[in-house]
Amino acid sequence: MKTSSAIRTLLLGLAILAPGQGATAQDVMIVVNKGTSISEITIGQLRDIFTGTRSRFNNGGRALPVLLKGGAVHEVFLHHYVGDSPEEFRLRWRKAVFTGQGSMPREFATEAAMLEYVAATPGAIGYVSRVVDPQAVKVVTITADR
Amino acid sequence: MTRLRILLFLLCLCSIGLRAQDLDNLQIHGFATQGFLYSSQNNYLTMKSSSGSAQWTEGAISLNDAVTDKLRVGIQLHMYQMGQVGGPGIIVDWASGDYKVNDQLGFREGKVKVPLGLFNDSQVVDPLFLWILLPQCNYPADNRDFDLAVLGGEVYGGLPLGPHGGRLLYRGYLGENWLDANGGYVQQLAGYGLTFPSPPSGRAFGGDVRWATPWKGLTLGSSAQSQSLDGTGPQGTVHMPPALLVAYYAEWKKGRWYLAGEYWRSPFEPVLTIATTVIPVVVDQRSWYPMVSYQLMHKLQIGTYYSHYVNKAADTSLPANYSKDWVVSGRYDFNQYFYGKLEGHFLHGTGLGYSAATNLNGLNSNSNMLAARVGFTF
Repeated sequence: MKTSSAIRTLLLGLAILAPGQGATAQDVMIVVNKGTSISEITIGQLRDIFTGTRSRFNNGGRALPVLLKGGAVHEVFLHHYVGDSPEEFRLRWRKAVFTGQGSMPREFATEAAMLEYVAATPGAIGYVSRVVDPQAVKVVTITADR
Repeated sequence: MTRLRILLFLLCLCSIGLRAQDLDNLQIHGFATQGFLYSSQNNYLTMKSSSGSAQWTEGAISLNDAVTDKLRVGIQLHMYQMGQVGGPGIIVDWASGDYKVNDQLGFREGKVKVPLGLFNDSQVVDPLFLWILLPQCNYPADNRDFDLAVLGGEVYGGLPLGPHGGRLLYRGYLGENWLDANGGYVQQLAGYGLTFPSPPSGRAFGGDVRWATPWKGLTLGSSAQSQSLDGTGPQGTVHMPPALLVAYYAEWKKGRWYLAGEYWRSPFEPVLTIATTVIPVVVDQRSWYPMVSYQLMHKLQIGTYYSHYVNKAADTSLPANYSKDWVVSGRYDFNQYFYGKLEGHFLHGTGLGYSAATNLNGLNSNSNMLAARVGFTF
């Protein structure tokens, strides 16, 4: 049983590591700081938070989106939950930055670094692959737009 | 040489690291571009384009710091030289404190960008666009300085319109702006014999409302601006009573496709007084464009637009009172930092983009033009 579980994890990891190949929305978890009192979030709210049109969670708490610098999880997250390619997403934020309307969300090279930051920062919200151990953060459920 | 030094300075800042530096909450971003124009007839945008000209350099550096959850401060320094406009000096493109009360209400104070149509507030930022030149009917590159920003304040926010209504985004501003001492308008006035110890300035206010519709990717909007202008020099004065510009626009983005269009109307009546001679100038600008682009490959985007400008207050059969420009364009992103662009223009009419000073032998009514631009951004 343990062996098959390890193989499944390995296969999932490989699928996610191969850029854009095989990874699905189900392979991505949304994580928030443990002090955040939300347990679920809609796709629309996620999109609004990560595109900068929304700065608060539904409960009024501050939402601080953080990003991975690249990779399959980043691509899958943007594709499924924001509706952008990585290039479109970068362009969207560059426009906000260069017109004085916003600051680029903080970026991390690895999921471990992102998890560490989310764990330590009130209001932080990020995304990681399901193979990562998210004990230090809270995993929130994604629901359809109402 | 000064231009070169500024570029080197910008590139030195870039070389701190290819990635934008993030020192706690401080962010630094920037871009630098070099352009080239070659036209079959006439000299375009004050460059000697009929001989081929690379006298088009532009760059900016932006610093941003989130002081608190709600307060952000930032500044963007911009330099450009395009033929005889612009110059080696660095301009503060915007510099503001931004206090966001909540998602529905925020305030910016300082030198703030002016929202006018789809691209006015971002038109100097070349890395954002497929196009080398945005539709010149609404975004004339040689006369853009006046409308870019105001020294004053802005209120902004977004209002959700229910689960199926989309979102309404609004911005309103009030302030003062002035002509760029090295810009196209000042040179045009100099052509009338008017010079100014300090550039003419005026009061501007206006707003922009855009509806991010529930139909994914479709945005509809409208902007309006009231603008006046006054300047006094040793030879005379320029006075423009408040003039109202109105713009309507739509954009639709679906998958690899992007479609957009705008219609602007801008009647204004400046009066030039030179010694005892009073010269009233009557202009009723109508301008519109449709554009479409397609992401052909991961790194390659292509597109086309048609730009149409006409001065309805004058004889519209004369080339000097209209400008019609068919454009095809392509952009290749070598990576997320470096890109190159190539663009063809098929110009009819001489109402936009030509200055008398660089076309001393007169103008042909039609011209073709090839433009190229390379850029770096981080």
